[in-house]
Amino acid sequence: MPRIRILSAVLALVLPVSLAAGCSAASYEAPAYGADSAHPDGWVEALRLEGGTDWGAPNPFQCQSRGPGTAKMELVYASLLEKDENGDIGWLAESWTMEGNDYTFTLREGAAFQDGQPLTADDVAFTIDYYNAHPPVSNPLAAGTEACIVDHYTVVDERTITLTVKNPDGDTLSNLGSFEIIPRHVWKSVEDPYTYTGEGWLTGSGAWACTAYDGPTGSYEFTAVEDFCAGTPGAGRIQFVPVSDALLAFENGEIDITGVPADLLSQYQADETLGFVEKANDMGYKLLINFEQCPEFLDIALRRAVYAALDRQAVVDKVFRGAGSVGSAGYVPRTSLYYSPDCVEYDYDPDAARAVLADKNLSVTLLAADSGSDVSIAELIKIDLEAAGVAVTVESYDSATRDSMVNAGDYQFALVGNGGWGNNPPTYLRTIFSDISKNQGGNPHSMGPIGYENAQITELAEAQKLETDFEARKAIFQELQVLISQEIPLIVIANQSSYSMYRKDVYDGWMKTYAYQQAEQNRLSYMLR
Amino acid sequence: MPGKRNRARWRPCLILCAGLLALTLFFGWGVLGWPCSPTQPSGASLEAPSAAHWLGTDDLGIDIYAQLSQGFFASMSLGLACGVLTALIGGGLGMLAGYKGGGVQAAVDFAVNVFLAVPQLPVLIVLGAFWGQDRRLVIGLIAAFSWAPVAKQTAAKTRSAAHRTYVRAARSWGAGSWYIFKNHLAADVLPVVLVGALAVVGKAILQESALAYLGLSDPTAKSWGLMINRASRFAGIYFTDYWKWWLAAPVAALMLTILFTRLLARWLEQQLLEGDV
Repeated sequence: MPRIRILSAVLALVLPVSLAAGCSAASYEAPAYGADSAHPDGWVEALRLEGGTDWGAPNPFQCQSRGPGTAKMELVYASLLEKDENGDIGWLAESWTMEGNDYTFTLREGAAFQDGQPLTADDVAFTIDYYNAHPPVSNPLAAGTEACIVDHYTVVDERTITLTVKNPDGDTLSNLGSFEIIPRHVWKSVEDPYTYTGEGWLTGSGAWACTAYDGPTGSYEFTAVEDFCAGTPGAGRIQFVPVSDALLAFENGEIDITGVPADLLSQYQADETLGFVEKANDMGYKLLINFEQCPEFLDIALRRAVYAALDRQAVVDKVFRGAGSVGSAGYVPRTSLYYSPDCVEYDYDPDAARAVLADKNLSVTLLAADSGSDVSIAELIKIDLEAAGVAVTVESYDSATRDSMVNAGDYQFALVGNGGWGNNPPTYLRTIFSDISKNQGGNPHSMGPIGYENAQITELAEAQKLETDFEARKAIFQELQVLISQEIPLIVIANQSSYSMYRKDVYDGWMKTYAYQQAEQNRLSYMLR
Repeated sequence: MPGKRNRARWRPCLILCAGLLALTLFFGWGVLGWPCSPTQPSGASLEAPSAAHWLGTDDLGIDIYAQLSQGFFASMSLGLACGVLTALIGGGLGMLAGYKGGGVQAAVDFAVNVFLAVPQLPVLIVLGAFWGQDRRLVIGLIAAFSWAPVAKQTAAKTRSAAHRTYVRAARSWGAGSWYIFKNHLAADVLPVVLVGALAVVGKAILQESALAYLGLSDPTAKSWGLMINRASRFAGIYFTDYWKWWLAAPVAALMLTILFTRLLARWLEQQLLEGDV
């Protein structure tokens, strides 16, 4: 029995009592923040988005590892750098220099935490030390592991800190700029940040203060912080409200942005008052094989047969309603700048699959999330594999439980879907496929094959990180994809394209960064620019 | 005119039984005679109703009539299994408590009160999530939360019947418990048990659908609750025509089946109160 399920059951019994007692950590209301001064153009009093799912408390230790969880945390906490459409920009840091292994950041004047305490280089240093002792959910420094990229730091003055890294590479600046700064005066006496709900547990360094959080209903409210040092928030409040049907709620004006079903896209595109954000092939589904539990599949002929057994175009046509493409066996989506057209293509060939699999008497359990698309894809996989002679039992759990089970290796086959496949550069190739870097941190982008090792893939996946020349790095990524498509450490099912739809006259600040297409999860989307 | 009055009294029962029979035949054809599979795609995605697919297809292209038909027998068998278990547990404990009295009655009364006081659905959800997605488990859980009302009514009826003069006389002449039950109590008590169990059938179908809707069942099973779940979670379904066959069909099937079984149980209960059954 997975520990998370036991915990969930216990929580389900205990939570109502705790809530009744008014002492639940999953429910939080803070004193009011925010500015009542004159509002600039483009500002809106409140932005409302679809809630209803508990993505954890929005602090670096208690948020869920998936995009919607870390994005809420990143509203409350700020990092040294941020990403815009073209590259890395200053956030808490107003400037930075690089010299050999030394990266020196200068904090903005007036940088402060949400309780009014100044944010200094000592807080940045403390954050690194604290993360090494207590790794956060989102961990770009790889703190607390042997791979931690920071070797040591030097506090130069109150606003300046030099971070000395072990091995600088193409991602170092981005990674150093991406960890969220926490207040020393709050956390220095906290021994267990993963359960701490005392004073200051949601006091952040970002542009938004969490003024309400209710886990059971998946409700969040963030209020703009007056005089945030790195910019002006585009709304007074951001609210994530539970809705029964997102599209109906959008039509009724209850939320201001939502996804558009593929069947209705053309109908809505005719409306000129609506704006759209396209996320091309950004969502992807992969089939993980736990080779420790299913050693038969270490035989590559069986993995090729699994590809042949699956009608992946049916997933695109039926589940994605045509909005997407069959996944490249090299993992990187076909629309990516880094995609290699030389990857091996595996066509749907049920007869060939049956010829290999039928007499093997195989039986597997397929773990999936209980959301609509995941179950539908799992059912199609079950139908196809059973036609090829593999008995399949589908088990579905909520997304958080599924992720915990995958991270714990508690599965035979697992269907994992997540966003961010369109990231440029596709650094996830290292965290999914490198034997050194995979399965660390609990994020879907680090869920790699268990019980499978490949030295050649590992070498290429790690080598691309050290390459700073764009073309050379792209060439390594492409070679790596070809190798992945040949060796099949996991099965890539399909990529889904989607659109977000918003009312332009309400708020028009939604943006995609050069690395991430999910506009609702980019904090610059909520700033006036 | 006693004959005419009698016919009028039985008419609702005949209509309800005819309705259940019609549903059984309709869905029986879907299982035995219909060419489409309830588990394999047999058409395009979300096809509207046609001669080839009477109730259209779902997003995966699987025939909805075939799925509904399989769901009917799955739901009915689950409901009947729950009814039988409830009759055995509730009826047995109720008769024991009503007949023996004293400490046995106190113990059964305590258990009945505990199970009546516990909110059923939240506990079913927690236990379902905790123990997994097994159909036998669902039957056991629903029966475990359904026997108490039956036991309470059965105990009251048994107590009342057991205190009748002729029963006491039989006891004093040395008649055994089985003899007394068979000859003096069964005719009074068994109808109460049967009516209670029949009421559980409809309730069990609804509860299983609720659990399936909440995702606490085999995610690929062709249960009505799961069909409603999958259809209602299809993004934008209310802005398309798909709901007319994908969502409305299982909702209508569920409503009709529960309506017929609950009304039949209600009619039987009424006859019982009037002393005609």
